[in-house]
Amino acid sequence: MFSRLLPRSATRSALQAQNQAPHFVRASPVTAQLSERIRQRRGYATPAEEKDLVIIGGGVAGYVAAIKAGQEGLKVACIEKRGVLGGTCLNVGCIPSKSLLNNSHLYHQILHDTKNRGIDVGDVKLNLANMMKAKETSVNSLTKGIEFLFKKNNVEYIKGTGAFADEHTVAVRLQDGSETSVRGKNILIATGSESTPFPGLTIDEKKVITSTGAIALEKVPKKMVVVGGGIIGLEMGSVWSRLGAEVTVVEFLGQIGGPGMDAEISKNIQKTLSKQGMKFMLNTKVVKGDDSGEDVKLEVEAAKGGKAQTLEADVVLVAIGRRPYTANLGLENIGLETDTRGRLVIDSEYRTKLPHIRVIGDCTFGPMLAHKAEEEAVAVVEFITKNYGHVNYGAIPSVMYTHPEVAWVGQNEAELKEAGVKYKVGTFPFSANSRAKTNQDTDGMVKFLADAETDRILGVHIVGPNAGEMIAEGTLALEYGASTEDVGRTSHAHPTLAEAFKEAAMATYGKAIHY
Amino acid sequence: MPALSPTMTEGNIAAWRVQEGASFSAGDVLLEIETDKATMDVEAQDDGVMVKVMQQDGSKGVKVGSRIAVIAEAGDDASTVEIPAEGGKEAGGVEAAKKDRPSPGEEMKGGIERTESSPSAAESPPSSRPEADAEAGGAADTAGAAQKKSTSSGKQGGKPQKQTYPLYPSVEHLLHLNGMTAADADSIPSSGPNGRLLKGDVLAHLGRINKEHPAQITARLQKLGHLDLSNIQLAAAPPKREVTQPPSAPTEIEIPQETELAVPISLSGVIATQKRVNDTLGIFLPLSTFIARASELANEELPLAKNRKPTADDLFNSVLGLDKVSSKVSSRGHYIPQVTGLPPATLPFRRSAAKKTDIIDLLTSSKPAAKKAAPRVVPGAVGMSAGENVFSVTAKAGEERRAAEYLERMKMALEREPGRLVL
Ligand SMILES: Cc1cc2nc3c(=O)[nH]c(=O)nc-3n(C[C@H](O)[C@H](O)[C@H](O)COP(=O)(O)OP(=O)(O)OC[C@H]3O[C@@H](n4cnc5c(N)ncnc54)[C@H](O)[C@@H]3O)c2cc1C
Repeated sequence: MFSRLLPRSATRSALQAQNQAPHFVRASPVTAQLSERIRQRRGYATPAEEKDLVIIGGGVAGYVAAIKAGQEGLKVACIEKRGVLGGTCLNVGCIPSKSLLNNSHLYHQILHDTKNRGIDVGDVKLNLANMMKAKETSVNSLTKGIEFLFKKNNVEYIKGTGAFADEHTVAVRLQDGSETSVRGKNILIATGSESTPFPGLTIDEKKVITSTGAIALEKVPKKMVVVGGGIIGLEMGSVWSRLGAEVTVVEFLGQIGGPGMDAEISKNIQKTLSKQGMKFMLNTKVVKGDDSGEDVKLEVEAAKGGKAQTLEADVVLVAIGRRPYTANLGLENIGLETDTRGRLVIDSEYRTKLPHIRVIGDCTFGPMLAHKAEEEAVAVVEFITKNYGHVNYGAIPSVMYTHPEVAWVGQNEAELKEAGVKYKVGTFPFSANSRAKTNQDTDGMVKFLADAETDRILGVHIVGPNAGEMIAEGTLALEYGASTEDVGRTSHAHPTLAEAFKEAAMATYGKAIHY
Repeated sequence: MPALSPTMTEGNIAAWRVQEGASFSAGDVLLEIETDKATMDVEAQDDGVMVKVMQQDGSKGVKVGSRIAVIAEAGDDASTVEIPAEGGKEAGGVEAAKKDRPSPGEEMKGGIERTESSPSAAESPPSSRPEADAEAGGAADTAGAAQKKSTSSGKQGGKPQKQTYPLYPSVEHLLHLNGMTAADADSIPSSGPNGRLLKGDVLAHLGRINKEHPAQITARLQKLGHLDLSNIQLAAAPPKREVTQPPSAPTEIEIPQETELAVPISLSGVIATQKRVNDTLGIFLPLSTFIARASELANEELPLAKNRKPTADDLFNSVLGLDKVSSKVSSRGHYIPQVTGLPPATLPFRRSAAKKTDIIDLLTSSKPAAKKAAPRVVPGAVGMSAGENVFSVTAKAGEERRAAEYLERMKMALEREPGRLVL
């Protein structure tokens, strides 16, 4: 989604176009900007002009909606308190974590996986500070790119913290401490989520950290305990394990990867990650934490009760999930409701009980994923401008960027069983795929779940190299109601990893050729 | 009366479209049935003759499974066929007149019953024979349920639609295997997204699988396609707070570390020059003019901050690959000094808000800052003294060297050669 930043057509003239934006025409561009700035700085509580759409939160949900609304010709303002756009995803989530995952993988591979490829390397050293710098460079260029797209699409960017003063007015505390307010015909809440804290442990982002601390550690911990074996925990655990930490993952459930991951796939990746050196304690709960000493002590016991055990670590990563973030948003001032898990209550068109106020992204229902937020952003603007929008929640892929990657879309075996659906299974291992073999990267498999009678694809689950890219084909197939035979009768280039995808499809309705 | 949905128990006959004695061909609409949900057309599965209509137009509350009409095979003489007694069939709708005795193996799926010309085919209902091959498929179809066709915009699919996209590979393959052409695809009820014909639809059409099944999957997937917003459990409402309460200060933002740098600068030279200009040219130049000009000069080509973030210009350049070409080591600064006279007035240091970089600065690059410098300095002039003044700027983390350089140049310009500023 980020590759489309700064399209070539977005030349410098776009800047001039911005200067002619409706609310600047009164004066020359420079003085208009100046007075605009002064207005914002001094924070006169002037009754500002009413916007068509005011967006609170400049994360993926908020910024995409802002750009889309700008493109649709709405007068739009986006309020973001972080000081930079892009929200969790670009600043402390998807992007920085993937930068570290990629570079730590390279490091790990150079360290352990070059001899049998005929490459003799000398002294390999980690320069953590520079690895972090590389991460920051990626993040900065992406967030700045969004600022530029705001300019290009006439989105007013208000740097500050927003809260509802009344049903149509958002009071903003600007970054310099002054205040202002904006009125909106429509208001969109896209305030995102935050890490769920673990009771009994105080997050200091040094010793007891969330994912935010985990992407910014200054040195590689000796021992790291990850509380929660979901996607974020496994990704960050992988990074530090590759860089040399001894990582133990404590998971309450009987499988890693979270409940959406197919159980067979989960077992498969657990085996591979164990081979890489990570340790797993499943069906285990943390009962107590003590962070008073230099090391953190965690008392754990079997989930169903059992003898307790104490784990010690110099860093504990709390990754037990994320929760909607709506603190200090003034919801009580306008009587908006959340459910017991803090999600803002909406209808199928993202409306709250005040129909001009809508909610999308992590702070409401559905999976907490950036691309889900992005789909909703487009749909919500279409609901506002055209009265119709659509997101197919049944075809939203999930990806875990460990090595190998795990990716899936649609339902897993447990879900189909629960729904009483008769299904067929077809799998193909990467160890039988020519490209995986040549790459000497053969862990994992592709697995199809299809309706037993019609052969319609119900779920695709992949663990293996490049699974995250490969799942796009599965998503497309699902979106089009394809059968496994449709995939199996479609040519896939040779030799590619994608052939494993095709062969798994063939194995579902007939037989794979190479297995 | 055929069951047009899994939950249907009874229906009304809206109208017969084929009259007694008339013959019809496969796909013709035999009658319209009303349920509480929709009005649906019932189509003939095969060619035939309408022998007798038992429930006339407008009949209400006809139970599913009760006989509504009797049909015979094409070519049969409607006036001579023998009508079997009702009750011989379990789930009959339009009942077929039999020349042969009804086979006990025959199982009606709640559609239109009809005579089998071949008892052997009738003996093995296709719905329980998924492996039926192509030839059997055709015959088996005749014993299958009538296709239902929703005339309302029912979402259950099951409506034939002209296939405007290329057929799916599996569909094309199946059609060929069964002696059909791409044109036949348009008459097969489809259950895919936007009416696309799926493999399952063809299999159902061929009678290899339960006819209802493709539409049922579609319905299930459609449900999964929406957020589950049922059974929402509301959290207890928080107490209403004062409307005027300002949002609390942001907690998550890391405000970059800032350092205030200050340097004492004597303005006596400037004042002397000011006097000289006034005396010789009769023009009074305010102190702020000197300071603004000095600032403009001092801001030129300052060393880059250590942790400088790329501006939009840099981004453009890197997109265009130009970043490799010009290796910039300096850039124009945006500093505006805060001036505080030492004695007599000792004002507390203030932070100048103007130094927070914002998008407008970044995108418009250098121009506005220097021009703005003049008016912005004026307030500072209030506390200026003719002797020592403290010039200060706020430097973000990493920018200290840049800011120090700026102040040094200010000092140089204002103390050593103030005259050059107004030349
Ligand atoms: C470590 C990590 C890795 C992740 N990796 C992936 C991944 O690989 N793929 C994926 O799809 N998803 C990933 N996610 C999830 C993804 O980041 C979120 O789903 C996504 O950011 C949600 O976008 P959003 O706009 O709803 O919320 P956010 O990105 O959280 O944005 C909300 C924004 O609103 C601002 N805000 C909040 N309140 C106010 C207020 N009152 N006034 C003004 N501004 C306010 C916040 O500062 C924030 O910037 C990851 C998350 C984490 C933590």
